[in-house]
Order: sequence, then C-alpha cells, then structure tokens
Amino acid sequence: MGINNTNLSIRDLSFNYGEKSILKSINYDFKPNKLTFILGRNGSGKSTLLRIMAGLVKPNNGQVLINSKNISDFSLKERASVLGFMSQHHTAIFPFTVLDVVLTGMVSTIKIAPSKQDYDLAAKAIERAGIAHLTERIYTELSGGEQQLVMIARVLAQQPKILLLDEPTSSLDFCNQIHVLTLLKKLSAEGITVICVLHDPNAAFQFGDEFVFLKDGAVFYPDNDSNIKSPNFLSSVFMMPLDIISIKDRTIIYSKDLPE
Amino acid sequence: MKKNRLILYIVYALPLPLIVLSICIGPSDVFNFNDALIWLKNHLFCSNEPNENSYIIQTILLNVRLPRILLAFMAGGVLAVSGAAMQAIFRNPLVSPYILGLSSGAAFGAALALSISFAQVQVFAFGFGLIAVAMSYLAAIRQKQVSTVSLILSGVIVGGIFTALLTIVQFMSDPFKLQTIVAWTMGNMHNTNWASVESVFIPVILSILILFIFRWKLNVLALGDQEAQSSGLNPQRSRIIVLVAATLASSAIISVTGVIGLFGLIVPHMVRMMVGPNNSVAIPVNFVFGGMFLLIIDDFSRTLYSFEIPIGIFTMLIGAPFFLYLMKKTKTVWE
Repeated sequence: MGINNTNLSIRDLSFNYGEKSILKSINYDFKPNKLTFILGRNGSGKSTLLRIMAGLVKPNNGQVLINSKNISDFSLKERASVLGFMSQHHTAIFPFTVLDVVLTGMVSTIKIAPSKQDYDLAAKAIERAGIAHLTERIYTELSGGEQQLVMIARVLAQQPKILLLDEPTSSLDFCNQIHVLTLLKKLSAEGITVICVLHDPNAAFQFGDEFVFLKDGAVFYPDNDSNIKSPNFLSSVFMMPLDIISIKDRTIIYSKDLPE
Repeated sequence: MKKNRLILYIVYALPLPLIVLSICIGPSDVFNFNDALIWLKNHLFCSNEPNENSYIIQTILLNVRLPRILLAFMAGGVLAVSGAAMQAIFRNPLVSPYILGLSSGAAFGAALALSISFAQVQVFAFGFGLIAVAMSYLAAIRQKQVSTVSLILSGVIVGGIFTALLTIVQFMSDPFKLQTIVAWTMGNMHNTNWASVESVFIPVILSILILFIFRWKLNVLALGDQEAQSSGLNPQRSRIIVLVAATLASSAIISVTGVIGLFGLIVPHMVRMMVGPNNSVAIPVNFVFGGMFLLIIDDFSRTLYSFEIPIGIFTMLIGAPFFLYLMKKTKTVWE
C-alpha cells in the first residue's frame, strides 16, 4: 500500500436538527496517513460530524472536500472507493456467516455475485482484523465485541483510502481495545488516513497522531499559553475538573473528584 | 459446506422427475398412471408400445395437466423468491410478498370483476393488486425517503382498506357470485390452460431474472441501509427495483391462481434452514424448491378427493402451524 495523497477537509460545516444547532461552522483539514481522534462529550456533535463526512447525512451548510472536490459530487461507488465508514451500532437480522458479512463491504466492486478473488480479499481483511478463527461462524451468534471486529474487517475489505470509525472500541474488552487501536495505528502507517471518534482520551493520547476536540458543536482549541494535554484545556473540553500525570512520555488523565 | 452441496444437487435434480410424475397422476377415469407413462415413453423415447385412447391421453396430458403443472411450478417459485427478496429488503423475516396489501387488493379486484360480469377477472386482480402496493408505498414516503417500518405499517393499513371493500362487494353479491368470489380468494388452479401460462410468462421471467441478478445484493440490503450506502450501494433505489420486480411477478401469479396465503412466507424460512441465509445461493433454491413444493401441494389438491381442494387452503393448513412454530423458534427478539 503506497502513500496516500487523499486530503479530507471540512469547510464552514453546519448542521441543525430542527431548531437545535448540532454543528456550528466547522473548518478543519485532516492530515493524510495519520490516526486522528475526534474527542468530546456526549452530544458534542462527534458522531454527526463523522456521518456527514461519510456522506450519510447532508449538512445544512458547508462542504466536505476530498482533494478539493465536494463529496456530494462523488457517485456512491467513487465515494466508497475513498471513504469507508463504520457505525457504532449494528444489528443484523439474518444469521449470515462472518465471511458473508465481510463480503458485503465490497459491493462497490462486485457486479453481480462475488468471485473466488473477492472471497480471497474478504478472507485477507478478516485476517487483518485478527479474527480468522471466526470466518465461518454465524455473525448474529457472536459477542458484541466480536461483531465490532467483524464490522472493522468489513470496512477494511472495502479498501478505502480514508477510514471513518465511530467508537470502534465501544463494545470491546481491554485487550481487544488495544488490539484494534494498534491495528488502526498500523493502518495509518501503511498509508490509510484513519479518523476515529473515541470516548477515552487516555487511549486516544496513547495511540493517536492528531486530535480534534469538539465542544457544543464547534472545534475547541487550547489558548496560546496551554496545549491539548493541559489540565485546564481538558477540564474545559470535558466540563469536569481533570488532572494529568506524566509517566514515561505518556499523559494520563484522571478525574480530580475522586471519592475519598 | 458438504452438506449444503448435497442438498443443492438434490434440489436441482428433482424438478424434472417430479414434473414427469405429476403429469402421469390425476383423477382421469379414462386412463391410469401406467397408460400415461406408456404414452410419455412412446413420445419421448420413440418406443412403440400399444396404447389405447392415445389421443385423449395426449389432450389431457398436454393441454390440461402440463399447463397446470407449469403454472403451479412458476407460482411456487415466484412466491418463494419474492418472499425471500422482500424479507431481505425489509430486514424482516416475517414479511411475505403480500405485505404491502397485494393480496387484499387483488382479491377486491377479482371480486369486483366477478360481481360486474363483463369485466376481466385477471386484469382486475392484477390492476388492483398493483394499486394497493402503490398506495402503501406512496403513503409511506416522507421527504423522498421510505422507512421500512412505515412501509410495512402502511401496507397493513391499505390491506385493511381493501379487505373492507372486498367485504362490501361480497355482502352485496348474490349467493352464486359470492361462492365464486370466495373460491377465488382461496386460491384455485383448476381453470388453468395454456392461455393462463402465457399471460404470466413474460412478467414472471422478467422479474425472476431481475431478482436473480440482485440475489447477492440482497445480502447487502439485509445488513442495513447505512452499511449499504457507505460501501457504495444505493439502498433506496435497489429496494425499489427489487420491490417492483417481486410485486409484478407475484401479482401476475395471484391474478391467475387466486390468493395462496403464507406460501411466500414459509418457503424462504425452509430454504434458509436448508442452505443458510446467503441469498446468492438461497434465491435460486427458493425458485426451484418453492416450485416443487407448490407442485406437490397441487398434486395432492387435484388427486386426493374426487372434488378439488383449493390450493390456498392446503397451503394454509401446512403454512399456519409452521409459521407458529417459527415464531416460537426464531432467535431474534422483536422489541
């Protein structure tokens, strides 16, 4: 996989849900080949922003640009070859096998039915997600965490240049969280731009290259005299008193209001 | 996988012998199973065994039994494939081709045509079936989007309206016509001739071809709109194509056979149990297995008694208990 020259930018992006303003005139340039985390509290507009970038929701104002071209000017197939999206929740109804589920990620390149080659590509994506042992298992019978790994394999099978992931670790146990975040880090090193909504700032700081903080529907930046890892800034993003400790170049955030 | 392959061989190998068997059985007083078999042997393999009543046998086999057998096979195949396709696009395993009011619309159309004697039953059934589905669809559109839940809801409501209209027609019809109307709504194939086969042939072949081409994409649609759209398939457009194909074929069939209830619901479940939920495999199996299943039911319905038992009744008596069993067994919890 070569170096990725696909630039994703957001220009003056606004979104309202009825009267309520969810995103307020957002501007941001995502760095290619990096692992970027979008952080913020519940309701800050993280998921909405991601869904708009994926083209699933139309913004009221502004644009999402891929190499200066508005994503609404892309055909669905073109968009799928550039942007892969994984939602936070997914409910399957029919008892498909994991392989069948992963194959559906490749629908933009499969004309009528998958060929032997498509099966091989899907198997590779499954292996990359580290779940080769689940290939023939029934998707609906897996645990929530395993299902999330299958959906990651599915979006990898799509082979997009930019990955948009909404909370990919929300149902995973501690080990699988590390497994997935390591995988995302590796993918960004291999030339995929990974943009990921995450709840846990500690995990984000450990693995991420770039960070976007959202507060009340706008990108929130630190003052001139502080940085994103300063307690003041983080306390104000998450709207609660936070402090940090630094160990071996790592920043660990914790709540000041610990019970006695 | 091996078990699957064996099942596939069996399913695809059975139709031909079954059709031959079905041609040979029937309630005729003039000749029996053996006579029919000898006639077939004489004509297919150019043998020359003595055969009485050869001409009558030929007429009954080719002009009475064969069209009916082909129609039963097509009807079973179409209802099963449409049911499987509808279940996938609505992401709901309890859906059948009738979910959008097709059967009530068609039954009302047929009843109307039967009560005003100059009208064509088949045309009216076909037309009102489509009108009902179109009404359900139009009622469910919100801001150019159609949610599957509102579509199923409006389908049930539209079905209710046409059932009410059907009741009015039945209430106002004289007893003789009422009997004909009731017989139609129970599903019947004893009037089948080559003209009925011809009249459904083109919509059936066309729709089945479309559904066959879409068979794998049904998997994508069954996983959800968001997943389909973000990986490059337009879920709204694909759903309409599948819906139109399934509706056209089913309403063509229903216009000649009458309402065959629950068939399109149960067969996709049986097929899923046999070969799994992957529609790539299941759609063709649905056609062949559904065709054979309805043909067997029709064989019973025309030979079991001296009078014919409506095929819709037979299907219901097998279908309803099976449906209840499925409801108990289904793992998915509907909240």
